[in-house]
Amino acid sequence: MTPFSLQHGKSPELRLFPHLLELGMKKNGAMQLDTFPATVTECIRIYYIIEGKFEWRINHQPYFLYPGDVALILPGISFGSDNGVLEIGAFTWMHLDMQKLDNGHILPGKWSGLSDTESATIGKMLSMNSTPVLSRFSEAGKILKCIHTELLAHEIGYQTRINHQVDELLIKMIRHMTQQVVHPGRDFPQTFMRLEELLRQDLSHQWTVEEMAALVGLGTTLFTEKVKSYSGFSPINYLINIRISEAIKLLKRPDISVTDIALDTGFYSSQHFATTFKKLTGYRPSEFRKNHLRNE
Amino acid sequence: MKCIVTIELGTNGVRIFAFDLGGRVIASMKGYYPSFHTEPDRTEQDPEQIFITTLYVMKNLLNEHIHPKKYQVACVCFSAAMHSVLAVDKNGNPLGNAITWSDNRAKKEAQELRNTALGRSLYAATGTPIHPMSPMLKIAWIRRYDKERFRQTSKFLSIKSYIIQQLTGEYLMDYSIASATGLLNIHTLTWEADALKYAGISATHLPGLGPIFANAGKLKKAYQQSLGLPPVTKILIGSSDGCLATLGDGVKGEGKATITIEDSGAVRVMGPAVLKDEQMRFFNYVLTEDSYVSGGPTNNGGNIFEWFTRQFGDFTNPFDIEHSMQQLIEEASKVPVGADGLLFLPYLLGERAPLWNANARGAYFGLNIKHERRHFVRAAIEGILYEIYSIGKTLSEQRNISSLSVNGSFGTIPFCTQLIADMFNRPVHLRRKFHSVSYGAWLLSATEMGIYDSLDQAARTVELPDVYKPNKQHHAVYADYFSVFEKLSAKLSDEFELISNLQQKHTVAKTPVKQKTKLI
Repeated sequence: MTPFSLQHGKSPELRLFPHLLELGMKKNGAMQLDTFPATVTECIRIYYIIEGKFEWRINHQPYFLYPGDVALILPGISFGSDNGVLEIGAFTWMHLDMQKLDNGHILPGKWSGLSDTESATIGKMLSMNSTPVLSRFSEAGKILKCIHTELLAHEIGYQTRINHQVDELLIKMIRHMTQQVVHPGRDFPQTFMRLEELLRQDLSHQWTVEEMAALVGLGTTLFTEKVKSYSGFSPINYLINIRISEAIKLLKRPDISVTDIALDTGFYSSQHFATTFKKLTGYRPSEFRKNHLRNE
Repeated sequence: MKCIVTIELGTNGVRIFAFDLGGRVIASMKGYYPSFHTEPDRTEQDPEQIFITTLYVMKNLLNEHIHPKKYQVACVCFSAAMHSVLAVDKNGNPLGNAITWSDNRAKKEAQELRNTALGRSLYAATGTPIHPMSPMLKIAWIRRYDKERFRQTSKFLSIKSYIIQQLTGEYLMDYSIASATGLLNIHTLTWEADALKYAGISATHLPGLGPIFANAGKLKKAYQQSLGLPPVTKILIGSSDGCLATLGDGVKGEGKATITIEDSGAVRVMGPAVLKDEQMRFFNYVLTEDSYVSGGPTNNGGNIFEWFTRQFGDFTNPFDIEHSMQQLIEEASKVPVGADGLLFLPYLLGERAPLWNANARGAYFGLNIKHERRHFVRAAIEGILYEIYSIGKTLSEQRNISSLSVNGSFGTIPFCTQLIADMFNRPVHLRRKFHSVSYGAWLLSATEMGIYDSLDQAARTVELPDVYKPNKQHHAVYADYFSVFEKLSAKLSDEFELISNLQQKHTVAKTPVKQKTKLI
């Protein structure tokens, strides 16, 4: 593979692909200074290491990257190396524009062949990504190479094929991410704990079983079965447990309105909250609050 | 038809059973709640989630199994894990999470107090070993390091006291749970002044005390309605998991001991007198004013074998650790008794009884060139059980143990039960069908209702149908190897401390770089 660099707006090869902002491959034969400074962009940046060892800073944290590793940098995250140093080695990269929603979530754009729900799930999981380095992930290198080849060869169907490959890369990255979380397939308690953490971090989100299952890297049927046998509850009922427990804590504080509590803890409306709360506890939320603030 | 409902507030979740008046299980359900480890040495649980989960499981059980069959709930009886602390304000609202038994934040306090005259006299008075698990030390820690919480605290409760208070409005603690706080004088059954002084609190900071049969008041109206229970439903305060597991196995009286091995483990006996021990190795908890549950707890039980399985097992089915453990046990069963002289010290989590050394660490010893992977598997299991045996051995210096019972998920794996029988050279009884803790709560309830005259009579009715007989030849092999196991555990004391200090010194806080470098 020979080095190249394509940029949207400059390289005609990318005209049909407005979402591909940059694509390239670099071989660096000697250590260079001031060539790889830390920058922040609005797109997703994906770097795949072919040769050598790189020390890069992602979100101000240092990471060592080795051949087969992928660095995944989200919009708004700084990425580069100290003093702009570029070490000896080779890597390929892609800068991918994403659609941004008002709530801060990101989505692949219209070009993508992903279904709406899967697209939303992938966007959500990308933005929650806590490990920006995906290790031992040579499939990413193959996909990036294929995209490059297609771009140059211009054979029939290449536009479709390239977009498919980008979708493929997103799917593979998500799968790799979920499997990288602590001993793939081994430690359900730990995986469940991690899931619980993620649910709590974003309790106002309308979680679907599909999203939860994807976070753990299981199909929905097996996921539901595992959660049921481990926790005694279906995933949605377990989530209701967390929601009501958090709501109880908030109800015991005088400074938040019941409607805000309902929405913050993920209920559709204060009505939905009141019904669920009363069914389980026998109290209306306002009644419960009154009982517990009696001495204030 | 009447029934009895038992609620077990455990470490990993709540387990609720419904029994008929003959002690037969009508139905059971469980609900998980998490532990949070926000910082090293901390283990906390959310009291509201425990409460909601309990309510939810209870409601499901009643609606699916009890109400449709027209059972009438005569009484609800509680049991709970020991040593938890929850601070609440003057409205009874929690100030932060509950601190659970495995929380180690008070380890410095424990170390300072353990070998002092005050430490020894507190141990003798309260029966609770001077160890970070003790609520007395946890409260002292809060006073020292979390001053704002301490100042706002109106009462220090246990998790069970909180759940009962939510349901009935009463602040109560039974003698069993209280005897595991390090604050109760187990001889007089009143709060121990020196312990309160050490913790920096007065008796008004604690809930009211009551015997395990005490009525905890009436369910609040809202819960009567949501659960569909009449106001006459008796709410019994109940006891602790450890005491009830012992009662549930019928271990009351001379010659009997019970072994519990779940994640962690314990060997327990019950009798009319406390065990005195110069080295402060045993706990003495109160079941009733004339019976004490005594014994020693270990940190390293089934959780160590789970750890082993996660590291070295084959995971053909994702997340199916039971299957992988089963495969390893089959592998282990093909290795000769004693693992051809490979020994494993299971102290991965430090150790309580009988070493009481938080710095203890694990080790394989005796490796030779003929040992294979499967020997490591068998040695791991044998090591965990040698440790159980070593607790039993120290107990038998004071109590005659002629027969044993086993409960808990790891101990009741047939391969393990047989090993226990062989190591102890005693017959081992068990009942695989359900939890000993809940059965103990049933016996307690049945006695309170007058079905039995006394707990003694109730305990005598316990039948444990499955018996594992010891194999003399195997016992001789284990006895030989155990003598080395025991020597090693004592001899390595200095090295345990050295390595544990080095581990602390060289373990930098977990950073992404650190995670990455291990892949090189």
